[in-house]
Amino acid sequence: MEKIKQNPIVKKIGFNRVILICVLILMYVAFCIGIKGFAAAGTKHLLNTMNYVYFLGFLSLGVTFVIATGGIDFSIGPVMFCCALVGGYCLNSYKMPLVVDIIIAILIGLVFGIFNGYMVAYQKVPPFIISMASMNIAKGAAAVFTKTQSQSWPLSTDPVNGWFRNIVSYNGFPVGLVIFVIAAAICGIILYNTKMGRYILCLGSNREAVRLSGVNTKKWEMSAYVMCGLLTGIAAIFFVSAYTTVQPGYGDQYNNEAIAGCVMGGTSMVGGLASILGTVIGVFIISLLQEGILALGLGKDIQLIVTGIIVIVAVYADVTARRRKN
Amino acid sequence: MGEVILTMKGIDKSFPGVHALDHVNLEVRAGEVHALMGENGAGKSTLMKVLTGIYKKDSGTITYFGKEVEFHNTREAQDAGVVIVHQELNMVGDLTVAQNIFIGREPKKGIRIDDKKMIEDSKKLFERLKIDINPREKMKNLTVGKQQMCEIAKAISHDCKLIIFDEPSAALTEKEIEDLFKIIRDLREQNMGIIYISHRMDEIKVITDRVTVMRDGGYVGTLITKDSTKEDIINMMVGRVIYEDPKTHSMCPPDAPVVLKVEHLNAGHMVQDVSFELHKGEILGFSGLMGAGRTETARAIFGADPKQSGKISIMGKDGQLHEVTINNPQDAVNAGIGYLSEDRRRFGVVVQKSIIENSTLACLDEFANGPFINKAKEKKETERLIKELATKTPTADQLVMNLSGGNQQKVVIAKWLIRNSDILIFDEPTRGIDVGAKNEIYKLMNKLASEGKSIIMISSEMTEILRMSDRIVVMCEGKKTGEIRIEEATQENIMDKATRNIN
Amino acid sequence: MTKKKSLLNDQRYIALLIAILLMVIYFIFSKEFRKYSSILSMLDFSYYDMLMGFGVTFPLITAGVDLSIGTGMVCYALVGGTLIRNNNIPVVVAMLICILLGCAIGLLNGVLIGVMGLAPFIATLSTCMITRGIGSMCPATPWPTLQQPGGWFHSIFKLTFGQGRGAFKFPIGFFLMLVLMFVMEFVLNHTKFGRYTIAIGSNREATALSGINVKFYHVMVYVVCGFFTGLAAIAYAAVTPTVQPGTGAGLEMDAIGGVFVGGVSATGGYGSIIGTFIGVMIICLLKTGLPYIGLQANWQQIITGVVLIVAVLIDIVKKRRAAAH
Repeated sequence: MEKIKQNPIVKKIGFNRVILICVLILMYVAFCIGIKGFAAAGTKHLLNTMNYVYFLGFLSLGVTFVIATGGIDFSIGPVMFCCALVGGYCLNSYKMPLVVDIIIAILIGLVFGIFNGYMVAYQKVPPFIISMASMNIAKGAAAVFTKTQSQSWPLSTDPVNGWFRNIVSYNGFPVGLVIFVIAAAICGIILYNTKMGRYILCLGSNREAVRLSGVNTKKWEMSAYVMCGLLTGIAAIFFVSAYTTVQPGYGDQYNNEAIAGCVMGGTSMVGGLASILGTVIGVFIISLLQEGILALGLGKDIQLIVTGIIVIVAVYADVTARRRKN
Repeated sequence: MGEVILTMKGIDKSFPGVHALDHVNLEVRAGEVHALMGENGAGKSTLMKVLTGIYKKDSGTITYFGKEVEFHNTREAQDAGVVIVHQELNMVGDLTVAQNIFIGREPKKGIRIDDKKMIEDSKKLFERLKIDINPREKMKNLTVGKQQMCEIAKAISHDCKLIIFDEPSAALTEKEIEDLFKIIRDLREQNMGIIYISHRMDEIKVITDRVTVMRDGGYVGTLITKDSTKEDIINMMVGRVIYEDPKTHSMCPPDAPVVLKVEHLNAGHMVQDVSFELHKGEILGFSGLMGAGRTETARAIFGADPKQSGKISIMGKDGQLHEVTINNPQDAVNAGIGYLSEDRRRFGVVVQKSIIENSTLACLDEFANGPFINKAKEKKETERLIKELATKTPTADQLVMNLSGGNQQKVVIAKWLIRNSDILIFDEPTRGIDVGAKNEIYKLMNKLASEGKSIIMISSEMTEILRMSDRIVVMCEGKKTGEIRIEEATQENIMDKATRNIN
Repeated sequence: MTKKKSLLNDQRYIALLIAILLMVIYFIFSKEFRKYSSILSMLDFSYYDMLMGFGVTFPLITAGVDLSIGTGMVCYALVGGTLIRNNNIPVVVAMLICILLGCAIGLLNGVLIGVMGLAPFIATLSTCMITRGIGSMCPATPWPTLQQPGGWFHSIFKLTFGQGRGAFKFPIGFFLMLVLMFVMEFVLNHTKFGRYTIAIGSNREATALSGINVKFYHVMVYVVCGFFTGLAAIAYAAVTPTVQPGTGAGLEMDAIGGVFVGGVSATGGYGSIIGTFIGVMIICLLKTGLPYIGLQANWQQIITGVVLIVAVLIDIVKKRRAAAH
């Protein structure tokens, strides 16, 4: 065991991440063996999993930044729905060009991010309270704006706007995966190689020490929420390009799944430690898990329960690890 | 002195990386005031925490009234009659004074808490202590001194047989200390055992019967107070370590220009109308008792806390003083000030991050191309400073939490050196640092001063003040009560000013 | 300075003024609202929010939160309803089960937070999902209506005299809530449990050092919250013709929003059940009243969100000012 831990590649990736990758592979193998027709269905289940990975991945990447500051944002699910609904309404009712709708959707995410970030960083409102408020506002605003109508985005057969489906897959080639991996890489660079990332991680670990070093902590703390908002907007686009239709009043459950992916990957809820690679693997595990549960013929209900338990276990593991260190 | 009520024998306690207590012995008799002495970090508080069940001992025995005991929490200790007046205040700010005093053992009428009785009883307690505090006031609205008196009231309100005072006088005024001593003598009359932890030699001579001295987590010895001299005790405390002599004259040339001028600074209750000047290459000591407002003054200058009024001027590149507006630490850092907090783990370093990340935190812009960090450059610069300051670490990538206190302090110093700050505020520069490393920090500070950095040094250790300062500012209760040149400074005249109330 | 407390310094008075103002506005602008039946229906839908509010006040005073109350309430109502329909258990047993389930989930939350040391929002966000999942396993279930056997439980909240259209209905629930309010205000201010709740919210460390079993009381805080959520499930079942699985997310917001409007401190250490009562009343006035003055019901969600932020901001600004003095 010690030998594996000392291996330079393992060290670079992090031992916990290696275990997570093993878990992911084992899960897939277990599903193939345990669920009748899982392997036989060929790439069907994998594609379904991927569709889930795309939007959840962006949500999870976003919330990783926020959690790294020691904060939380569990308005992301409803905000994502709000983005998709308002954008969809602009498309369907105002007949705006698709590009404009996409930009609107992303902008809405950004606005929520700016709002949350400002309230947390500059007004010192506890993050969980602002999350609750934003969740409500996002749900309410989406419902009011769309007059409580669900919104559908164009199908790939749509002659004018069908192109937008290509961001997920182009003739069977998983474009979405490529985009997601690039996005994750960019997030990784931001987190580990830029001032923004350095400040976010340091202030998540010890805000006061960073402030007393003459750093504008408010600005950088806010930037994490803005980043999260932006990625939430992008997540909305991937959600609709995979699932077409969004209904007002929903989206809560994705909060938990996004946070689960992030925490499972080794990002600490107390802040200061974050792993983009971990988040990516975590997202894959959550997505594969939900596909497996569906393939088993079990419902959304089981998935909710399982995700809930995963979050508790992952956070508890982090809490105990931290306690042991001190 | 009566029978032995408490014997602690061979108490051993380790924390990861630290051997906090190494076979310590302590014996307390009924009707005696037993001083527990030692420098910061000698293990006095740890020993008391082991006794009252906050920490679990690794080995050793505690005998209390002839029976071997081990308390698992403060509650069990209280029930047995062992109570502690903590050094840090343990107050629930949102509850009232009476509610705090009786927390955990509220008198009840049925299921209802009998608040009336609590208030009556509190009043009686305060009468006994001859202090004037309204039991209905919320705790957070009281001054630190009064909160401390409430702690004492709470402790003696227990039916206790052994009472521990953990540096009770640190935040008290002269008059309050006198009152406290009256109370302590009173308790001694009632045949209680009293453990009194303090740094102040004068107090020890006045109030205690015996002294047990600890050093670096170990037991040194026990003396009878009236048969021993101050020097005996000090020698036991410091051991073989030879302290440098006090500075006899200022190292700072008399014509050195003023680099920082603070005029009529006001910030809350703790900083009232403070004015002083700092010269280039000078080490300006700030002396005073705990709660005198020295840290608050430093934080207000540094912009860490808001200030109400005051003018701060700093020498610019042209050699002239210019008034600067400092609203937050950013402004201060840009003006060339660096602050090294007394509480390094909370305010100084980011313990979970590496030495590199900590060292460049204050001037990351210099190591960045646009938004991107030039990691090679920051590593090179950090390694240069590790060498220069002789920081003991295997690599620059080491996490700061794995460093000792002295080396953590060096990381903070490196941070401000890389930032090229000209004015450094050291707040208790050697707190929690072992004796050897202390000397290194002192040397470093002297070197920095000789290279032209200007240093404000806040310290509660008299030896440190006398050894390091070129000039000394003394504060008491938020006001500057004196300014003494090192040539004229003595322990006595500093203490006199530190306890003088200029109202 | 502290002696001369202006009435406006107490958020509860401001809240009361707002509540009265809202009612006056509704009265003036809506004929509909002036009807007895409208007020009755508004009250009907306030009970479960009120009960959740009473419960969640305690975690909020400890600077925690319980996000599982909304989905939890629906989950318990679903389980109870399903047992009545499919297993023919008496309604009174179903009610007990609701309360027991509430306490059990509360206990789980309490252990996760108070003993295992998880952050309250993350622990309860998880149990929120778990209870939603459990609830989703039940079919959509109606509890017995007033006319059906077992329908007597409606009378806990609303007494009905006479039959059919001419029946006179009396909102006994409102008075029940008033009684509960005084009981819980007493519990908060004059019992050990209440006092230690405040103490934990103010300074958990110091409370523990005073020899109090903070873990136990911290757990109890969430159990009490769960108990009230169980009660809320009964009130919810009484006004909801058919409880739908998968719903309930967001309902906790009305209660939590109300508590903050009632003046609980966002950083813990202070709260008042009377404040909660008034605060939840305001939220319910917004929730059921907006359509009367021609606003879409969904505006309520937005307004609740904004009101929550404003209430918390007031608290924060007040604290900041006090600190500056």
